[in-house]
Amino acid sequence: MRKWYEEIDQSYRNVVSSKVRLARNLEEYVFPSRLSEKDGREMVDRLCKGLEELNGHEGCSYETVNLETVGELDRRDMKERRLISTAILNKKAPMAMLVSETEDVSLVFNGTDHIRIQVLTPGLHLSEAWKKASQLDDFINARFAYAFDEKYGYLTTYPTNVGTGMKASVIVHLPSLSLGKKFSSMITDMGRFGVTIKGVNGEGRENYGALYEISNQKTMGQPEWELADLVSKAAIQLDDQENQVRAMARKSHRLEWEDEVYKSYGVLKYARRLSMKDAMTFLSQLMAGSADGLIHFAEPCSVYRMMLGIQTASLQKKSHKPLDRAELDVARAEYLREMLPELS
Amino acid sequence: MLCERCKIREANIQYTEVINGVKTDHHFCAQCAREMDFGQYSALFEGEFPFAQFLSALLGGESPARKSEKYQQIVCPSCGMTYQEFVDNSSFGCADCYNVFDVLIRDNIKQLQGSDCHKGKRPVYQNPAAAGEGGGESPGDGGESAGAVSEGGRLQASAEEQIRVLERKLKEALRLEEYETAALCRDQIRALKEGMRTDA
Repeated sequence: MRKWYEEIDQSYRNVVSSKVRLARNLEEYVFPSRLSEKDGREMVDRLCKGLEELNGHEGCSYETVNLETVGELDRRDMKERRLISTAILNKKAPMAMLVSETEDVSLVFNGTDHIRIQVLTPGLHLSEAWKKASQLDDFINARFAYAFDEKYGYLTTYPTNVGTGMKASVIVHLPSLSLGKKFSSMITDMGRFGVTIKGVNGEGRENYGALYEISNQKTMGQPEWELADLVSKAAIQLDDQENQVRAMARKSHRLEWEDEVYKSYGVLKYARRLSMKDAMTFLSQLMAGSADGLIHFAEPCSVYRMMLGIQTASLQKKSHKPLDRAELDVARAEYLREMLPELS
Repeated sequence: MLCERCKIREANIQYTEVINGVKTDHHFCAQCAREMDFGQYSALFEGEFPFAQFLSALLGGESPARKSEKYQQIVCPSCGMTYQEFVDNSSFGCADCYNVFDVLIRDNIKQLQGSDCHKGKRPVYQNPAAAGEGGGESPGDGGESAGAVSEGGRLQASAEEQIRVLERKLKEALRLEEYETAALCRDQIRALKEGMRTDA
């Protein structure tokens, strides 16, 4: 079955994906940081057993992953695919994850909070993602009582999540906008609207691939749909501005633009060695070129999927052995040659 | 970029060394950086999240040392977390911590979140009576526990319902600029909330 990130959704040219995450804790256990190993194991077992019925619910089947016993490489691989967060990458405690076949829905137990519900979609669909997450939330809550306070809302490990426990985020691709002088001040200004924006793969000019994640800054004081709406609006704004900048550039320098896109395709399709920086930069060009209709693939192809595929852990997993830097560059080029479709 | 020491993990720390005017750049991952000796800067890499320490400084107030001395003794009876530990980690140990440290953290949460009152979704099936004893049997009997809302729970729910209606009314009144009605709604909401808190 195709994973969510293999689907293509071009309703907004530069919006790559949407995510809603809910942090929940059970009433009867202390939070994961204070939870003993014995209690942690008991809780994870109860959650896994209690949510068995989730299989087949809404036509979705789930796989249970024991996060405690999976290797470090697998964890990093899951982190790259955004299934688990950096915070639990090295955590040693009983942990489990229920993940749907397409990897769009996942539940992590005993991470930073007892339960972390996550829904991912391609394109801009925050309200649908929120609805889905909320249904799952009700499904769990029908079986387990949550730690909830009249004043503070859903209680979480970190005070930065308390209230709704929700983080709504959208990944946007801003290759042209991010080159502008005003971009960094724009990022600061976004804070005033209650959203934060940060580079997915690094800060400033180091963010190769020009993917940016916009998310709600606060989790309390506003209902979930309002928070999601804020993030959606910011994403639409950025998408629109990026389109304007690119349209202007296409008008005045069409040949140079096409040249860049086709050169990028050529390098990605035929190179024998590709560093992460080069691969991400060329894929970014290709992503923009394909979204703008400057280049056409013979078959549908998700550039974002390739951006995930060329990450270190993913490549190492594919070749079943640890790779040093030079070997990684070779494996990366090989992967891209294989994945990139012909042009039409 | 990979860490130049272990060549396995992604490097996320850039270390620039200037010795006799010669500048060299190094790239390490957090784990290697922690294992290496950076002299006076070592402390930077000890914690997993430098940001957490920044937050904790904010949570603890301007003079953490003095404030903490006074509050150090406050311990959450449910999980054994002290106020000092809370400040150090910027994280709570259990749900009861919110109650125990309420007075100390109220203003900080308000600053952090811009509000100190939750709006939005509430748990549909909250069943305080069954939650404690339910124990191992709870899986599977979801429907049953959902139905068995205690008397107190029902009363509370109705008060919450009233509050929600009043909040809608308040918004509408504000939209129409009927400030007297709005003030009335606000007072009623406040009274209801006060009542709920004392009940609980």
